[in-house]
Order: sequence, then structure tokens, then C-alpha cells
Amino acid sequence: MNEAKKNISPEQFGFVLKYLNHFMPLTETELSGLLQYCELRHFEKKAVILREGEMENYLNMVLQGLVRKYIRVKKNEVTLQLATEGHVIHAEISFLSRIPSLVTIETLEPATLLSISYQKMEEALENYPKGERLGRLILTGMYVKKDEKWYDRLSKTTRERFFDYIDQHPHMLQRVSQKYLASYLNIKPETFSRLKKLVPKRKK
Amino acid sequence: MTSDLFVFLNTHTPVSSEDFEELMSYAEHCSFGKKVRLTDIGEVEHYMYFIQEGLARKFFYRGKNEVITHIVKEGGIIGSAASFFSGTASRYIVDTLEPVEALRFAKEKLEELYRSGRKWERIGRIITTHYFLLQELHLLDNIRYSTRERFVRFINDNADLVLRVPQKHLASYLNIKPETFSRLKHLLVKRKHE
Repeated sequence: MNEAKKNISPEQFGFVLKYLNHFMPLTETELSGLLQYCELRHFEKKAVILREGEMENYLNMVLQGLVRKYIRVKKNEVTLQLATEGHVIHAEISFLSRIPSLVTIETLEPATLLSISYQKMEEALENYPKGERLGRLILTGMYVKKDEKWYDRLSKTTRERFFDYIDQHPHMLQRVSQKYLASYLNIKPETFSRLKKLVPKRKK
Repeated sequence: MTSDLFVFLNTHTPVSSEDFEELMSYAEHCSFGKKVRLTDIGEVEHYMYFIQEGLARKFFYRGKNEVITHIVKEGGIIGSAASFFSGTASRYIVDTLEPVEALRFAKEKLEELYRSGRKWERIGRIITTHYFLLQELHLLDNIRYSTRERFVRFINDNADLVLRVPQKHLASYLNIKPETFSRLKHLLVKRKHE
């Protein structure tokens, strides 16, 4: 196993701390303690991290790279998440309910993940002093994010979804192929192309 | 009456009757009439409600249309959860569709309970997990199932709600156009008689 505590860079340590401090104050020593339960995992570009039907054994944070989560619907893939540095990604239902995954997770760029296995998470919940509290608060954070995304999907027009996303994630147009972004935003590929042409004009 | 919550909790994690009694000292029993607004847009949600009797829903407005994201009956939890968790203004309205009897937990009371012992942190984490998973499943079902599949699945699992909830609300909840909902409902009646 690749020990996370030894091999994580100071910069990466910094944004893990920042993410967790969003939920509760943690000292650097406390974070080091937590990292003993974690491991670093490296993947090439276009590697499958978790296949539909498999059991999700990890909760991951992206330290570097870009990771996509999708669900197969008939013959199409619907992109559910595009996770970059500092984002948490995994198959939630499979991981928490211990049932086979409905979703597939793959890398779009070479990726480094900070991962905690289900078993290690159980140990951390048991033994790490702030484990239970941190676990609950991370869940509420994930709930709030999903609620926001769902609210946007139901309340915003196609145009609003496109421009709000591009404004908030300007680099993603370069990093991710158009078909994945269109699927993620629930926009038809033709409409997406048309809206994309408006981006440079709008900036002036 | 309060035993419904006892059963609910014990389907997720063992809670003794002594622990349950302690929990009840943090809860508040409340009753509401029909069409009572529990939470408004712009307010910070202060409570999570465990419904013992009746029906409540959560929705927002898209233009003049109501978009319903939750319909909760006896044995379920409702509240503007994202606002409750994050302390930011609610984007949803929570109101009753039928008169409601509920147990509610105020945010600061729950915090007090969590601070009183790790056991409560654990129970809180497990119930939060359950609530989070319900949300995730609802979102995935909306994406992976067709309109017709969503309709049939819902009817199979919630036959009682079809009688209790106005059709337009169910259509909104299932993200199905009202016309389509009517058409599907006719199909169902026919199928039952065959």
C-alpha cells in the first residue's frame, strides 16, 4: 500500500486540510493522524476505477487529474460528475449500502486519488476521536452539493446552466471533451456547440 | 405514537428504550393543519421533522409552477435539509398536504445531543447516511428510468399516495407532464381490470 501520510505533497496536504476545515477545525497533527487510514492511488488516463456491477470499496478525493462518473441509460452514458482537484468522488450508494454499483468511474486525465477503504473508514469511525462527527459532516456537505446540482437542473434554463457552469469552471471547456460536458449539464450536443460559439463574444 | 420513530431508528441502528427516552427529551411534538407552511423560501431551516401522521411536501417555484422534490408520509423525515445542514437560506418551501403530527428536532438541540456523547454522533451519522442515500437514489432514478418506468415503480411502491396526493403534485414529484401522467394512469386502470 502506498502510504498517504508519507507521500502526499505539502500542497495536496493543504487542500485536504482546507476541505475538512470547511466542516470542522482540524489541526495539522489531527489530519496526519487521519491520513494513516488513507492510501494514495494512481491511475493512467482512461483507466476504469470502478465498473458498474462491482462493489465500491473506496471514498476518494482527487488530488490531481480529472475523474468522471457516469451511469448507463439504455445505450447512452449520462455523466453524473466531473471531479477535479479537491473534489470527492465515489459510488455513494454502493459504498454506503454495500451493494453493487450502478455507476462507472473512470479517469479522463492521469489521476492521483487520496482514498480511504470501507474497512479503514470503519476503523477511523471507531478509533479516530473526531471520526463520527467528521463522517456525518462530510455527508451533509455532499448532500448540500447534490441538492444544489439538482435544484439547478430543475430550475435553470439550458442557457443558464451552460453559462453559469462556464463562468464558474472556465478551464473545463479545455480540459473535458464537449460530449461529456453536454451530458453532465443535460444539454443536447447540438445546443451545446451553439452555446459554446457564444462564449468568446460574451466576454467582450 | 412516538414509537414510530423508535421503529424507524431501529431499522437503521440499534437504539435501546433508555436511549430513546433520552432522545425524546430533545424532541418537540407538534401538530399542524392542512396547507400549513413550515418553512419558507429565504428562511434558514431550524428543524427536521419526523412525520408520525399526515403528509408534507417540499417544493420550489420555477416561474409560476411548483416543482415538488419531496413528498413524505408517516415514517419519513422532511425539512429543508440543505438549509438545515449548511445554515444558508432555504430555496424551498415545506408545507403540509394533510394535517400533520410530527416530532421535530431543532438544530441546536441536535447539536447539544451530539455533544453529549459519541453514541449520539454515531446514530446521527447513520441516520444522515440513510437520508443522503434516499436523495441519491431519487436523483439516479430520475436519470436512469423513463417516464413510464418512474410512474409504474412509484405506483407499485406507493399505492396509498396515489389516493392521498393530488395528481398534479404527483406528476410534479415524478417530473412527468400532467397530460402524460393522466394517460399513464388510464393505462394502469385498464391493466388492473384485465
